[in-house]
Order: sequence, then structure tokens, then C-alpha cells
Amino acid sequence: MTREGGSGYPWLWVAPALLPVLVFTLYPVGQALWTSLHNVQLLFPMVTWAGTGNYERVIASDYFVTGLINSAKMVLVAAPSVVALGVLIALLLSRRFIGRGIVRAVILLPWALPGAITAVLWVWVFNPSWGVLNGLLRWLGLIDRSIPWLTDPALAFASVAVAHVWSQIPFAVVLVMAALATLPRELMEAATVDGATAGQRFVHVIFPQIRAIIVVLLVYNALVAFTTYDVVYAMTGGGPGTATSLLSFQIWRESFSMYDFGSGSAVAFIVVAISGLMIFAIVKALPSDLFADG
Amino acid sequence: MGAHRRALAAGAAAIGLALATNPASAEDVTLEFVVWNYSLDTILDNVAKFEAANPGIQVNVTDYTWPDYHDSLVLRFRSGTQTDVIYAGQDWLPGWAAAGFLAPLNEIAPEQIEQWKAEMAPFTVSDMTHDGNIYGLPYYADTISLVYNAKILEEAGIAVPETWDDLMAAARQLKADGMEHPIVYEYDQELPNFFDAFVAQVYGRGGDLFDAEGNAIFDDPSNAAYQQLEWLQQAVGADLVAFESHESTIIPAMNTGNHAFTIVYNYVLAAMNNAAEQPRAGEFALAPMPGDAHATLGFTKFYAITAAAAADPAQREAAWKFLEFMAGPPYDVAKRWAVEKGLGFGQLPLLQDPDVIAAWEGWVDMEVLKQQVETARAGTWTEWTSMWSAFFRPLMAQAMVGEAEVADVMRQGAQRWNEMKEQFASR
Repeated sequence: MTREGGSGYPWLWVAPALLPVLVFTLYPVGQALWTSLHNVQLLFPMVTWAGTGNYERVIASDYFVTGLINSAKMVLVAAPSVVALGVLIALLLSRRFIGRGIVRAVILLPWALPGAITAVLWVWVFNPSWGVLNGLLRWLGLIDRSIPWLTDPALAFASVAVAHVWSQIPFAVVLVMAALATLPRELMEAATVDGATAGQRFVHVIFPQIRAIIVVLLVYNALVAFTTYDVVYAMTGGGPGTATSLLSFQIWRESFSMYDFGSGSAVAFIVVAISGLMIFAIVKALPSDLFADG
Repeated sequence: MGAHRRALAAGAAAIGLALATNPASAEDVTLEFVVWNYSLDTILDNVAKFEAANPGIQVNVTDYTWPDYHDSLVLRFRSGTQTDVIYAGQDWLPGWAAAGFLAPLNEIAPEQIEQWKAEMAPFTVSDMTHDGNIYGLPYYADTISLVYNAKILEEAGIAVPETWDDLMAAARQLKADGMEHPIVYEYDQELPNFFDAFVAQVYGRGGDLFDAEGNAIFDDPSNAAYQQLEWLQQAVGADLVAFESHESTIIPAMNTGNHAFTIVYNYVLAAMNNAAEQPRAGEFALAPMPGDAHATLGFTKFYAITAAAAADPAQREAAWKFLEFMAGPPYDVAKRWAVEKGLGFGQLPLLQDPDVIAAWEGWVDMEVLKQQVETARAGTWTEWTSMWSAFFRPLMAQAMVGEAEVADVMRQGAQRWNEMKEQFASR
């Protein structure tokens, strides 16, 4: 036997798990932090110390405030929408009806699509000249002129938010359906026998049982909405103007459009910091017994 | 065992003989050719023809989408990924050349470059030149033009617009006659095309965004760029304009018959008038860019050799052979792109080529095209142009849709340009 603490043996066993974390998480994060503190222009090889200069510059820029406001709007619109629609669809899919298996499979389809494909699909829906939505509205006689869904600043944000919510709903449905499957059947039957309406059954029986998963989904979707990028990039490129420029989009813009990796990394760390604060605030606001059994 | 030994000896002798009779294999060179993925099949076929004509040189093709191309290339350069011959663009050249990514071709093949230069359009030579050095041979050169639906204009009794006021009046008349959006416009603030099309319009007016010293002058209300952005804002504000995010969707949009005008690269006109694919093929025509000067932006995408490839004599020689094949006289590959795809070219002799004329007469009036090419001007490309353009395009987009004042946009754009100019001068 070896002396306690005197052997490298445990490290050997942990290494296969630890190494990928070091290589693929800690090193890139460390590298990004280093980059954010230096002047790193992609086109030019010289790298100089910037200190907090990159952070000060991006926070002082016009785009930062706009991006922050748009990201906050996205969180406030998308997270509750995804969770509410996810719960609603999960409740519907939990009922028995003909073709339930097919509907369940179809409902999950958006989850399987990459963000860029989702964006292309929704551009086809929202295209003013030949898009499905304007065509449908015209056919129904509801409009007589095209609505510029993606190029009117007021409508573009809503259109992008719809596409984002659509892509995130399946995950919420899966988790809520999993939670619903654990509900004691006797409890539901007892509530029905006692004459509870569907609304009363949801409020008094179902919700208390699945509230933990709803909170988890809210936190998760708040973070996803705050950091979403692909759908926005492919649908509007952040435009028109700054109407759909999210803070996460600024990471790409600074890095790959302005070729300023130092500033891009600084925005990335600001996004991480805000996300961390968001998680901390939400967890603090939760009742302490939320995840307790029963 | 004896039989085995004899068989092994015979095999070794056969391999030795094969190596001796194929000396090229001892000097095999592999070129990494990086392209954006426009018509990849044609690229691969051209590469196969080159390889067949040049035993011992193998060419690996890597392709990226157009929106990802620039970033991918810069990352390849910075990471040291082998990259020998590339597609390059006039807007990226100053930055890439200053960063030392590319090799001047006049140092690799000075005589040929000097001879071939004389046969290229002036804007093409300008687009491929940085600090007096030529860095490319043209793959594709084109102008941005006003395209209109001749049938719609004829039926409405509208003459081809000569000025921007004419175009506004024509669009208003068509709208009054029931056409919802007479103009369809490529609008994607993340694509350089968005800025290029604007510059082409400014050149049509006879103006420029910069003075001879490269200072921004477009924040002056009398400047052509200032006036053109106001024009665009008015046209959008009057609901005369429908937006499409890419030229590929402009083609079907124009073919719906719901629009009469657009501003696009000339090869888009070839696609619009392609009878095999488009229902209204034949209705579309090219007009000189409206404005007093009728000038436009000419631009060139070109083949370039990387500095890393040029540093190795074998790679340099193979890369130059490849460029010669792709873009040198007798311009077979450029001609193929022109005939089969309608791509423009920087090699002027092709304008007189009977095959090119026969292929192009079906979709464009060659006289109007020649006039447009003759009046084409190169853009102002500096080390910071692409970065500044990325800053300015969203501002332009904001002004167009009425989210920002033209005066504010132009002031911010000019201020940023002049700041960047100073920053780069002090490096």
C-alpha cells in the first residue's frame, strides 16, 4: 500500500477525464483571457499589452449598449416563450390520440436542425417577395401589400425571435414530457375524480411536480437566448442597422469583421460575466426547497 | 524460400524500374489551392486539365463559402496551414500584401507580367496592384450595373433611366400603376457587395467618397455619396424598394415580374436571362449606371501566390505554372468561365473573341457592356478599407431604412475612416 497523499496514482486515473477539459476548455479560456488583455489584430503579427483597454473600448462603443439591450430583450421574450410553449406542447403530447408517435417525432424535428438551416427555412417563411407568410396572408385576404418582415427594424427583431423560439421548443418539450412521465397516475386520477378542471389539475397537481424542471428550463433558455448567434447571423446579419445586433454577435463582429481579436475576446468575457451574474441572480431568487423531494 | 526470394527480387527490380522511368515522381509537387465555392465542378475540371497537362504537379482544392472565405483565409495564413495558390480580391489585397501573406508576381515572372498587363482592363491592373507590385492574374472581373426589365418599361412607356431622378420617377410611375416595389435591392449589411454597389452608384454620379490623398469627403452634403445615400433613403421611404439578402434571390425575384429595376453584378444578368431556368429570360437588359458620368465600379477577383509558396523554389515554379494555365494567354480558362457562366474578365482580348461574343449576345447588349467596362473605375482599397467597410455598412443600412440620419451616418463614417487612416499611417 502507498502512503496517503504520497502517490500520483489517483491523478493517473483522473487524467483521461482531466486532459480533455484542460485542452479543450481551460486552455482556450486562458488563451481568450490573454487575448482580451492584448492588442491582437488578425492581419498584423505584432501583439502588444493592452491591459483593460479592449474592455474600456468595447464598453464605450455605441454598439455595446445596443447589443446589450437587444440581448436583454431576446432573453425576456425568448426564455418565457420557449418554456410556456414547451409546457403546452408537452401537455398536449402526453394525451392519447391517433398519430401521437408521428406528431412527437415531427415536433422534435427543429431540434435536429443546425442553426444555419433553421435560419434559411425562416428566411423563406419571412421573405417579403416570395415568402410563405406573406403568401398565406395575401391568400387569406389579410394583407394587400408585402410586409418586410426582415428589413423593417421593428419587425426584424420579432421575426428573429420567432425563429429562435421555434428552434428551442423541442428541448423544452422533451424535458417537460420526461417530468410529466414521472407524475403518479393515482394523483391525476384522484384529482379528476374530485372534479378538478384541466386548469385546476395543472395549477394544483402538475405544476408543483414539474416546477423544478421549469426553472431549470428558464435558466437554460435565458442563457441560450443571451448567447444565441447563428440564427441571427444567417437571417439578418444583425440588421437592418442594429435592430438585431445581439451582444454575442459583437464577439463575431469585432473578431471576424473588424479583425480585432483582442476586442472580440473582451466582449466574449463580458458576455460570460453577465451570464454568470444572471445565473447567480436566478439561483439566489429561487426558493431553497425547490429541488427538494416531494 | 528460393522462389520467394526470386519473387521479392523481381518485385524490387520492377519498382526500381518504375521509379527510374518516371522521374517526375521524385519531384512531385502538391499545391494547395483555396477557392470560394462558386461553380466548384468547373474549378475541379479546370484543375484536372491542369494536372493532366503537368505531370508531377498535384493540386488539392479546398473551398469555403463566400461569406466565410476571407476569415478562413486569414486564419489559414496566421496558423501556417499550407496554402499555395488562392482566390483573392481587390478589397483584401492591401491588408494581405502588407501583412506579408502574398508574393508579388512581378518578382516571380517579371517579363510575362509586364507583357500581360498591357492586355488587362485598367481597373483590373489597379485592383491587383499594391505599392507598385502586381499580386495577381484575373480570375473574374466585372462591373456593377443597373439592370431593368425592358418589357415592363416598354409596356409602361418608360424610357431607360439616365439619371437617379429618372429612376425615381420611373419607379414612382410603376408604383402608381400597381407595381408594389419597382426596385429590388441586394441588402445584406454583412456582405462587402452591399458597399460595392453603393460605390458603383456614387461613381455613376461622377463622384467619389475620397479625395486624391485618401481622405474621406463624403460627409459633405454636396458630395455624390451623401446625395446617393439620401436618394436610397428616399426610395426606401417611398416604399419603392424591396430587399433581397443575396443576388441569388434577386434572380427569381426579378423573374416574378414584380420588379423592374435592380443593381447587380453583370453575371447576375446572365442568370436572369437564362432561358433554361428563368420564366422571364430575355426581358432583362443592362443600362449604364445612372448619373452624369455613367461610370461604375469595376472590380477584380484574382489568382494569387502566397508568400509561403513563393519561398520554396519548387512550389513557386509549380504555382506560377498553375497561374499561367488558369489566367495567362491564350486565356482559355477565363474564356470558359465567360462562355459557360457569363463571368466577366479582366483580359480585354476576350471582348473580341467570337465564342465569347456568340455566348454573351444572348443575354447582354455587347455595346452597352463595352461602354460600361470602358467607364469602370477601380475602388479605393487600403489596408483598412475592409475593416472600415464592416463598420460603415451597418450605418448605411440604418440610414437606408430610416433608422438614422444620413448626416450622422456620413459624419461617423468619415470620422472613422480618417481615424483608421491615421492609425495605419502611424504603424
